Amino acid sequence: MRKVIAPIVALMVAGAGLAAFFVLRASPEPVTSTYFLMDTVLTVKTTGGDAAAINEHLHALASDVDSMTSYYKAESETVRVNTAAGKGPVSVSPEYGALVKAAVAVEAIDHGRTFDIAISPVSSLWGFTTKDFRVPAAKEISDTLAYSHSDQLVISGNTVQLRDHRARIDLGGIAKGYSLDVMEEYLHSVKPQPRQVIVDFGGDLLLYSGGRKHDWKIGIRDPRGQEIIGYVRSGDAFVATSGDYERYFERDGKRYCHIIDPSTGYPGTLNQSVTVITDIQPMHGAIGDALGKIFFCSPAETQRSLFQTVQGQGIIGAILVDATGTQSTLGPITFVPTGAP
Amino acid sequence: MKRSDRITGVVILVAVALVVVFWIVIHRTPGTLAVVQVDGKVVATVDLTSHEVQTLRITGVLGPLVIVADGKGSIRVTAATCPDQICVHTIPARSPGDQVICVPNHMVITIEGEGTGIDAVAQ
Repeated sequence: MRKVIAPIVALMVAGAGLAAFFVLRASPEPVTSTYFLMDTVLTVKTTGGDAAAINEHLHALASDVDSMTSYYKAESETVRVNTAAGKGPVSVSPEYGALVKAAVAVEAIDHGRTFDIAISPVSSLWGFTTKDFRVPAAKEISDTLAYSHSDQLVISGNTVQLRDHRARIDLGGIAKGYSLDVMEEYLHSVKPQPRQVIVDFGGDLLLYSGGRKHDWKIGIRDPRGQEIIGYVRSGDAFVATSGDYERYFERDGKRYCHIIDPSTGYPGTLNQSVTVITDIQPMHGAIGDALGKIFFCSPAETQRSLFQTVQGQGIIGAILVDATGTQSTLGPITFVPTGAP
Repeated sequence: MKRSDRITGVVILVAVALVVVFWIVIHRTPGTLAVVQVDGKVVATVDLTSHEVQTLRITGVLGPLVIVADGKGSIRVTAATCPDQICVHTIPARSPGDQVICVPNHMVITIEGEGTGIDAVAQ
């Protein structure tokens, strides 16, 4: 009997080892890390590659973007530009210069009517920079609007200048999307390649599977609830959402969200949420983020005509929920509402 | 076929079955579980399938938070030392993927569990 047991035990160990090997090789466990920056949460879920190190590096990259673009951090390039408003040109890094140029280029799609990085003095009036919320008087808003436009910006070589001493820029509307661009660039080159990376930066997503062409299932959050209203499928992409439910305050039963319509100086009220999906190309994270604001501040007809303008330039599609809660989509995407068969 | 061969066969089958069972056990779908993290570290887990009301007192980066699971599958923050109180006013979390977040306290409650097949939620 003893003669029989030895090979059996050996077989069992070998079998278990082999099974474990295949299981581990087939599906490495994802490593999820959570970080706090830019007044929101960054969650990175990496499967394969040197997952933990990749997560740390992605966080460091986002921190660098924060240090560069922050409206609040004393050493940021944004603060340097803003403090020098009305005084003269400020030398900026090539990265910062390129980001400001990209922002201004997106603004031009709609002639600055629905997205403007220089609207921040009006946002401050509403208390969105200090969280000391109030509804400003109409006169205050119109007075402030006069110098809260990107025509205050002079970009020349590697310098940026604000003409009026009261003008301010805030890249908060594209900084998260731009962080995803920087992260994607790094993921593209890292060795060994991870199998999959899901970056969730305050609800803006980067879905990366390298050359594996994963078919992602992306849930769309209900702007008036905790659940999702449905999902879309997509290959690797940037997904940016602008909604009136993340940062807002209420006065006398009225909701005032943090996305200020630059043409009126009042918070956008035409939509509850807009999700823009862009393909993986340089700056498309930032552009998608900005396009989200543009669609958010636009009525349905304008959304459709704007989409036709930008279609073919990397924008895949958009999922829209208007002020009445009506859902619609733009582009060749299939939105599957929750509860659909 | 010798008797010992038959025994070997049976034992291999048992061994394979054991490996399969073990694999299923370690990979089984958890019941609905709320995971509470502060600064990326798990500080508590709450079984939301329990019918008892559970109250948790945890310490965030700014100060204490009170978290209550209502015994009906939902969990929420009922009190927190943060200036904006966004976490207290967030809709309670109950489905896999739902979150309640307190940014000033670096606190996240995430509902774990399988079934939705959703990779990520755009919000």
